[in-house]
Amino acid sequence: MTTSSSRGAEEVFRRAAARASESLSKWLGRPTTIVIEDVAAFPLDEAATVLGTGTETLCVCAMQVGSHVPGILALAVSDEAGLAMADLLLGRPPGASAAWGEIERSATAETTNIIGCAYLNAVAEGRDDAEPLVPSPPWFVRDYPEAVMESLIVTQMTDDPSVFLTRTTFCIEGTAIRCSLVFVPQSVAAGRPGSGVAP
Amino acid sequence: MSRPADGRQQAGPDAPSGAPVSIGMGEVGVGRDGDTLRTFLGSCVGLALFDRRRKIAGLAHIVLPDSRGQGTPPGKYADTAVRHTIDALAALAGGGTLHLVAKLAGGAKMFPFQTGPTVGDQNVQAVERLLGAAGIVVVGRCCGGEHGRHMTLEVATGIVWIDTVGSADRITI
Repeated sequence: MTTSSSRGAEEVFRRAAARASESLSKWLGRPTTIVIEDVAAFPLDEAATVLGTGTETLCVCAMQVGSHVPGILALAVSDEAGLAMADLLLGRPPGASAAWGEIERSATAETTNIIGCAYLNAVAEGRDDAEPLVPSPPWFVRDYPEAVMESLIVTQMTDDPSVFLTRTTFCIEGTAIRCSLVFVPQSVAAGRPGSGVAP
Repeated sequence: MSRPADGRQQAGPDAPSGAPVSIGMGEVGVGRDGDTLRTFLGSCVGLALFDRRRKIAGLAHIVLPDSRGQGTPPGKYADTAVRHTIDALAALAGGGTLHLVAKLAGGAKMFPFQTGPTVGDQNVQAVERLLGAAGIVVVGRCCGGEHGRHMTLEVATGIVWIDTVGSADRITI
């Protein structure tokens, strides 16, 4: 991974965060900001553990994004932060979401969908080709951090051996939630939504 | 004491006997009586090979089915990991015939982004084919599904425990 590609990814993430902030503010009807604090690129052999190890669970909502830089975009959050985020997204009092039910998952998935579409729009900025940028529906998983990350990165072909991780803060009406955005680039051949990615 | 099989083992040389040794993605670890090896699996496959007579065992965390000639690290690919784990156990035994049997776990499909045979399916099939070619019988398996697994191997007995998020019941294979 080169420094320039890492800087390029950071630029795309920041543009996507600005767009997603606007979209989320409209969707929620409340001022919402997504702040990308930093972006780091990890080699695959380190990426499996960057979001945690051991038996503490991690919640990940992931979607495949097809573009000239295809890959998987995922919102990763701890149980505690994720449920607090669900409270904010659903307009509930703090602590109202005690477990991951259908509505909490759905709210998180919709948020991931908005971020993913904002990411695609940010990627598309400045491009004059007519290639369609098609995301897959978001998919929610709650599991061991290493198992989740492993499953995300194993779909990556071996020609771009890095994973991008951002430290991100959601701020809805003054309440901040810490989470991570993960981007796993794939080769073009493997990156079409619905395509097989077997090596 | 667990021993590194590929130089990437996470446990230090002074890890206490019996303390679980974590095997990371693409790594192989081997151990003796008193050791416990563990790994976390999504679509990857955990291959436990053990010799109950000698009370030695190895655990490989296999990521992809075919090295296509790359082979580094050897634990990453099914074709190199099976051979490497057998060789590491032979070295640990210090000669003589090994009486190995295998247990497999993992190969889940946690995300629906693939069509056709998944990497997990291919990993399981590749490992089973390679074990068959090596004359090693698979005596237990816990593969497939949509959930991650925490695989723990007790070297002395070859018992493998599987834990999953959201299930209070521990599976023994």
